[in-house]
Amino acid sequence: MTGRLPRWLGAIVALVYLFLHLPLLVLMVFSFNASRFSVEWTGFTLEWYRQLLERPDILAGLRVSLVVGAISTVVATALGTLLALALARGRFRGRGALESLLYVPLVTPEIVAGISLLVLFAGLKIALGLTTIVIAHVAFSVSFVTVVVLARLAGMDRSQEEAALILGADEWTTFFRVTLPQLLPGVVSGALLAFTLSFDDYVITSFVAGSGTSTLPVVVYGMVRRNIDPTINAISTLVLVFTTLLIWLADRAGRERFAQ
Amino acid sequence: MTDRRRRLLAWLGRRPALQAWALIAPAGLWLLLFFLVPILLMTGYSVMPRGTYGGVESGFTLEHYARFFDPLYLAILGRTVVVALLCTVLCLLLGYPVAWVIARSRRWRNLLMFLVVLPFWTSFLVRTFAMIFLLRDTGLINTMLLSLGLIEAPLTLLYTPFAVLAGMVYSFLPFMILPIYASLEKLDPSLLEAASVLGARPAARFRRVVLPLSMPGVVAGCLLVFIPALGSFLPSDLLGGAKQMLIGNLIQNQFAAARHWPFGSAASTVVMAGVLAGVLLYLRTRDRPAPAMPG
Amino acid sequence: MTRRPDHPLLDALRSGALSRRDFVRRALAAGAGLPAIGSVLAACGGGGAERPAAGGMPPMPAAPEGEVAIYNWSDYIGETTIADFERETGVRVSYDTYESNEDLIAKLQAGATGYDLVMPSNYAVRVMREIGLIEPIDRSVLSNWGNLDPAFLAQPFDPENAWTVPWQWGTAGLAVRTDRMPVPDSWAVFHDAGWRGKMTQLDDMRDVIGCWLKYRGRSLNSVDPAELAGAKADALRAKANLKSYLSAPVKAQLIAGDVWLAHLWNGDTAQAKTAQPALEFVLPREGSMIYLDSMVIPRGARRRRAAHEFINFVLRADVAAGVSRKSGYGSPNAAALAADPSLLRPPSAEEMQRLEYQEDLGAATGEWDRIWTEIKAG
Repeated sequence: MTGRLPRWLGAIVALVYLFLHLPLLVLMVFSFNASRFSVEWTGFTLEWYRQLLERPDILAGLRVSLVVGAISTVVATALGTLLALALARGRFRGRGALESLLYVPLVTPEIVAGISLLVLFAGLKIALGLTTIVIAHVAFSVSFVTVVVLARLAGMDRSQEEAALILGADEWTTFFRVTLPQLLPGVVSGALLAFTLSFDDYVITSFVAGSGTSTLPVVVYGMVRRNIDPTINAISTLVLVFTTLLIWLADRAGRERFAQ
Repeated sequence: MTDRRRRLLAWLGRRPALQAWALIAPAGLWLLLFFLVPILLMTGYSVMPRGTYGGVESGFTLEHYARFFDPLYLAILGRTVVVALLCTVLCLLLGYPVAWVIARSRRWRNLLMFLVVLPFWTSFLVRTFAMIFLLRDTGLINTMLLSLGLIEAPLTLLYTPFAVLAGMVYSFLPFMILPIYASLEKLDPSLLEAASVLGARPAARFRRVVLPLSMPGVVAGCLLVFIPALGSFLPSDLLGGAKQMLIGNLIQNQFAAARHWPFGSAASTVVMAGVLAGVLLYLRTRDRPAPAMPG
Repeated sequence: MTRRPDHPLLDALRSGALSRRDFVRRALAAGAGLPAIGSVLAACGGGGAERPAAGGMPPMPAAPEGEVAIYNWSDYIGETTIADFERETGVRVSYDTYESNEDLIAKLQAGATGYDLVMPSNYAVRVMREIGLIEPIDRSVLSNWGNLDPAFLAQPFDPENAWTVPWQWGTAGLAVRTDRMPVPDSWAVFHDAGWRGKMTQLDDMRDVIGCWLKYRGRSLNSVDPAELAGAKADALRAKANLKSYLSAPVKAQLIAGDVWLAHLWNGDTAQAKTAQPALEFVLPREGSMIYLDSMVIPRGARRRRAAHEFINFVLRADVAAGVSRKSGYGSPNAAALAADPSLLRPPSAEEMQRLEYQEDLGAATGEWDRIWTEIKAG
């Protein structure tokens, strides 16, 4: 029936999750390993975490990444959702052209996007810094959000919206209390994608970041390539643990409110 | 609601096109200014001669495009398309079940969704080096297999096509899972119940009910994986040993070591134009099915 | 501060000699519409063709500004250099890093401003001078200049040291696990199938094609098609035996023993050796490349005095020694070498015979790139 999961399906899904998380587990476990290079476990240590405190550049990078990620996610999700609504529901000329233009950011190699944005900012005399990073991140995230929300909108049942309108609700109320809640899984998926893209971006950010505004990937990139430095494992573990905690708390708060 | 607002909305309501453009404006302007204009600038570079020390000089030439249409570069493009297709198919086969399970699960949905995205809150490079640490000859997997006596000599896992695909699939899996989930989530379970009551077996239920209704998500996922995968080159370098050249490497090199912006722009314009043409074709031929869902 | 020299059209527009409409018309006529605007835009950003004449700079402020922005290679500075500098001078340092000369050039050329001090390699300095991306140095405020080893001064890319101050030098060669294989002395070891799957070469066009040119006794700046074809053939023969092309990240695998022989720089080998004493660095008998990274000031830097202050600081023997100790690379500072015997010695006269500096290839870069593409795709 529809409730039970076939065993082979469950096995595949479990394997996929294992595949996704094995490198993470390795990361976390070896952030406590006393040896810098070896696969063998030479002893438990918190040395690498202690060293993090002496690395203001890593901590500053993390802060910049979080700020940029939060702002660009909110903006990109809002813009992308509006765009998706217009494309799916709107009646206007040039819709086909607009939808195909939507795919330009997906197609563009990161280095081309990065350099061209830098040329633009220089030409417009916009100083490089947090603003330029956010602008760039929103620019390449909006398309992803739009595509995801569009997939959600396609074939979405409009009868509830029509019922609301017939019952006398105006368009704003209908949108916020009927359409948006139905759209929410798509919007949340898009937002998650947007944050992921922003938090993990290196190439574009390296071109549009100004002095003193390096994000975490930019700070970490050189370190990881040149040297085996377990402090990277330490900061990655901390980020993972912290975000897990945050999401868990948010989820619990959400459930409690729902239960009430 | 105030009278003025009501009148404004009524006025807007009679102009659906204007409504649509009002929705599009913020995103459209952003993309226009901060994406299209820079890209057009770069396209402009692709028809200019290269400066002796990099950069461009004024002038007009199509030589860079002519240079690209050469068996060497076209072979690279062909290989890249094959790799991207493989990656997309793998992501689909692995990602669809995950999206299905997440969409069907009420209790664990948030957790499962979160676990899909969590790996990406570490840096890509860090994850890749963790994978290298797992896969290399003296890495964790080989060490464990050797100590368990399951193998006699280390398996060559790193710097193989397997490693490259593993790396690419790893990077792109959420881009497949999230859209499919968004599409599957609105699937009404009563449809499946009705189908099974009418005698359909699981395979038929999937093929004739679930798959068609999740198609928008599947297509979105495939596009969101295939297109960026075309430009991907880091997994090939880091996990494949940099012994192959994909179109992403080529373009990267033009802006890096070769300092040949015009050729890089030309190559990238050709790829982008090709993909856009494909997408346009798909959009033209796609019909938007009216969902046969009971109210 | 005098106005930076700009694209002549912009000058004319600003001074009023050209009306806006004429400016647009001229700009469009100068190229083919959008491309021309693009190049003018790029010129606006500071990539103009003229360079300020050495010595034509306005006088610097007497005291350093409150902060300085440095853009350097990653992992290329001493453990405490920045902290010490901030403490002793009170100047705050904003420090960012890059991974390659081309990243640096691309960023500066596309118009990134805000950096006061950058560290390009030898061939990149010439490129940056040609495109007008850097400013002259004022030696009069560098009291520690005398500490520098004359062997690293008066380089072809800056004969009077009017633009550059030497920072670190390095060479490329073979890093070998002496406990796994006999020590080779020639690039030919890469053609030995006996070590198949245990060797790597740098993932770098200039270094790979360059080493095979040296192998045959040619210059690693050659643009002769026949010589390049020979180098390509050698490189492809070697590729069959390579585990991978790998640059700095090969250290982890050298230490662990996955890789027994790596084409690697001396500084990185020295770093890896601290964790794996069985590693040795060998300069092949056919010769190799040497590079010299220099400190230069990007054009338009707002805090020149602070930048000079930093340069003078790292010219001190103890600071220079600290930088080299951490990076593993060679210091061009004679006083530092005299003070710390553990530092990398400059190449001997005999070794210098075999070493060659890389030059920019100019228009021939496209030819080299095609060969590199053929090697990689082959």
